[in-house]
Amino acid sequence: MVLYRLEKKRLGELIGRLMLDAEVIAPVKKDVVRFLPIAHPEEIHLERNAFFPAKEYFFPQHQTLFQFDGKSFAPVIPKPKKRVFFGLRRCDLTAIRHQDLAFEEVKDPYYETMRKSALLIGYHCPKAPSPYCFCGSLPQIEFFDLMFFDQQTGFLVETGSEKGEQIVREHPELFALTDLPKPDTKIPGADRLHVENIAPLYDHPDWKKGADQCLSCGACTALCPTCYCFEIHDEVSTANPDAGKRSRSWSSCQLPGFTRVAGDHVFRKERDHRFKHRIFHQLEYFKEKHGVPLCVGCGRCIEACPTRIDFVKLLNEMKT
Amino acid sequence: MTKLKVGVYGITGCAGCQLSIIFNEDDLLDLIELVDLKAFPFIKEVNPDEQYDIIFVEGLVADKGDLETIKKLRKNAKVLVALGACAATGCVPAYRNFTLKENYEHLLYRKIKELQDVQPTPVDMHVAVDYYLPGCPPDKRQILAFIKGAVKGAIPKPTDNPVCVECRQNGNVCLLEQGKPCLGPITVGGCNAVCVNGGLECWGCRGPTKDMNLPLMISLLKRKGFDEKFIQDRMRTFVGLKLPMLKEVLHGKNHHA
Repeated sequence: MVLYRLEKKRLGELIGRLMLDAEVIAPVKKDVVRFLPIAHPEEIHLERNAFFPAKEYFFPQHQTLFQFDGKSFAPVIPKPKKRVFFGLRRCDLTAIRHQDLAFEEVKDPYYETMRKSALLIGYHCPKAPSPYCFCGSLPQIEFFDLMFFDQQTGFLVETGSEKGEQIVREHPELFALTDLPKPDTKIPGADRLHVENIAPLYDHPDWKKGADQCLSCGACTALCPTCYCFEIHDEVSTANPDAGKRSRSWSSCQLPGFTRVAGDHVFRKERDHRFKHRIFHQLEYFKEKHGVPLCVGCGRCIEACPTRIDFVKLLNEMKT
Repeated sequence: MTKLKVGVYGITGCAGCQLSIIFNEDDLLDLIELVDLKAFPFIKEVNPDEQYDIIFVEGLVADKGDLETIKKLRKNAKVLVALGACAATGCVPAYRNFTLKENYEHLLYRKIKELQDVQPTPVDMHVAVDYYLPGCPPDKRQILAFIKGAVKGAIPKPTDNPVCVECRQNGNVCLLEQGKPCLGPITVGGCNAVCVNGGLECWGCRGPTKDMNLPLMISLLKRKGFDEKFIQDRMRTFVGLKLPMLKEVLHGKNHHA
């Protein structure tokens, strides 16, 4: 374990240097905190986590997949863009890894292209940044190129990859080797979920309680850093309706049309089935397939919900 | 291949929905090559009264003449499309159904008797409608997608997604959170949340989703401090006739006010 120290007042210098040959994306305070490309290092806002996750940079809301002309088709692979993400919380880093797992299942060149060219710099939460956080109740992995621990006057910086180490090597005057111990990675105030296994709760009547408060607006899945479902659209050209493009857009399991199949059959018509499916996919089904729950405990789905459905509280109450 | 024969007509309306077709400026020249735009009285002089593959009708039925016209258009159309909020849901002109006659009587054209004859109502309360392109005005891209779909024999499946889906994709912060009475969660999307993008809450012009949770929407608005009268008025502004259950949900089953 090697740790470095970076003076806080020199963070701007580091970011400025990174901006020379990459787009730096960091939390910026606008109407809410958002991950945005920055023009000046002073824009970086670390007090709160971003309201919207960074997923749109790898898995955009709308994306053209291929163009066709009636005879052949040509994939439209995005151009890789060198990007440095700064200030990703542990939950958001874990979320990126979990989306990697989903998009690796069937190799997705669109996602892969955007992911490969990204450098991930984490910011370890000194304490839970939102009352909805529950990352402490779910496994967080060590997944970053660099991780910044906030100390009073400086950052302790841990390297997590060759790419991360290279940054340290390239800027020796900014990073000082230190023999301080690695800080505790536990984030105080983020252990809200007290149910480890939700499988026995499948038939619990209280799912309806959550669904009764659900507008099926899809805010939860849109703001989730791990939700990766999408739907497909074709758009043809007016000049030649045999030609056009196929694209994908974010979708949501909370919408009744999500499970509509040929013959107009809808598998999950009922709101409580849809609500339960989201929680089960996040905490159970993904785990059965990949060994880890999909959910990372960032709490955005609760904070963004117009009626504040707190599924963590609901699960805790189901257990007792 | 014979081109689809298309007619675009208006009954009582503001012509804005017909304009939405024309607003597809970049595609317009290709569009008139793609289909036979045979009738479009708003912009054409000669508009034969005959059989059409598709007839778009804008506006609602608000007088006797409308009633005759809509019956004739139905007879002439293989596929009748309600174009825009008036045709699809009644829109603002149908609000007259929810107020007492003395409130508007003095505003009517008293001398022209037939203008007062019919209660303002959306097209589907008089004839069968095959497809709806709702909105005040309808989304111009959606109109174009419908026409192209019809040409390919693959009419797009109408969405039942609420406005919120596109709104969140656009990175908007929920206006309900900012204390505005946004009806996005119960309103059919497809408009790219254009009003919310500009900071105006959704007024529901595209009509209620089949899946809407109306009781929750109402209780949420009440929790945000809006009273029953405000909620009722707002929800009725564009789609009152499509929310026949509103009074009951708003006031409870035994209320007769």
